[in-house]
Amino acid sequence: MPSYKLTYFNGRGRAEISRLIFAAAGQKYEDIRIEREQWPALKPKTPLGQMPVLEVDGVELPQSAAIARFLAKQFHLAGKDNLEQAEVDAVIDTISDINTAWPASSSDEALKKKFLTEDLAKHLQNLETLGKLYGKGGHFFVGNQLTWADLRFYTFGQTCIEAAPDCLNNFSWLEQNRAEVEKQPKIAEYLKNRPKTSF
Amino acid sequence: MSIYKLHYFNFRGRGELARLVFAAAGQTFEDIRYERNEWPSNKSKMPLGQMPVLEFNGTQLPQSITVARFLAKQFQLAGKDNLEQAKVDAVVDTIADLIVKYSPARWEPDETKKKELLKKFFAEDLDKHLQDLDVLRKLYGDGGPFFVGNHLTLADLYFYNTGQNLLQMDENSLNNYPWLKQNREEVEKQPKIAEYIKNRPDMPY
Repeated sequence: MPSYKLTYFNGRGRAEISRLIFAAAGQKYEDIRIEREQWPALKPKTPLGQMPVLEVDGVELPQSAAIARFLAKQFHLAGKDNLEQAEVDAVIDTISDINTAWPASSSDEALKKKFLTEDLAKHLQNLETLGKLYGKGGHFFVGNQLTWADLRFYTFGQTCIEAAPDCLNNFSWLEQNRAEVEKQPKIAEYLKNRPKTSF
Repeated sequence: MSIYKLHYFNFRGRGELARLVFAAAGQTFEDIRYERNEWPSNKSKMPLGQMPVLEFNGTQLPQSITVARFLAKQFQLAGKDNLEQAKVDAVVDTIADLIVKYSPARWEPDETKKKELLKKFFAEDLDKHLQDLDVLRKLYGDGGPFFVGNHLTLADLYFYNTGQNLLQMDENSLNNYPWLKQNREEVEKQPKIAEYIKNRPDMPY
């Protein structure tokens, strides 16, 4: 029976997808949250000087997507065969592209405004396209069941809405997808009890 | 008539990793290459208006790393179990971070600015990224010449391809990392890879 230890800052950020996977699976784990002042001392002890890090069976894994995919596969939330897993990965990568395109907080206001009012919608359209391509007519991104693609969009969607509250107004499929995730009993329980953090 | 069709441009770019996986596996596929002027009329056929796209059993898959990982898993080049696959994925993501870092310099259209950006990348940024890869091979490589578990995986193929881009920009870029240099040599001496490299179209990127 493996034991899992997830280490990250005290926030959602790049670890929340993994926390949601643990929650959906009903799997216990050590949820280590590092305050910013503790980080400099811990940093050199991590493989790449970054977090999150997952420790499992004595192995340390960096890279948030690699961690999440590993956990999703452990708990049968990754897609039922190689092709479905690839469909899930395509959704994940498409969300990742949005993060890459999202202007840094240090960017000028005009750039940020253009992204939120023009570019974001095109990216969200891409996600709806994939949901309709792979979702077999249901509410989940892939294969008519919950996978980590839905969990990833759930947490990403929160970030979007916090930046632009009306961003999903023209994307009813995406809105419905998030609603389906948050009514899963184990997820609802987790969302109710998790720490409220600014990121 | 292959069950695998890969759609990409007629250069290496984001399609080459999938082609290397097919080559390593000795798997035939339709290598559909588009010239730039053919793209506008074909763009809308792709799910996200981008390539590469893999067609398999009537399903279209976009996203280059997703495609490469899917193929690697089909052909047992992704890692032998979930934990090994996660180690491979961690290396792959770390290589992707390196590519994100050098890409603005690599694709800068203004020659003067490009020289400055490349100089800065090689002087200030490259080392940390190569160090990270070196850390991971020490953690996961079981003392052998491959990144994970003493056998060829997607991680080695991805570093092989990325290393080519680095060396093209600066032929000395791997000099401080003999293991990484040796790793690329291990990849290119695999017979099926050697054959593929010998015969593939020679493209500048």
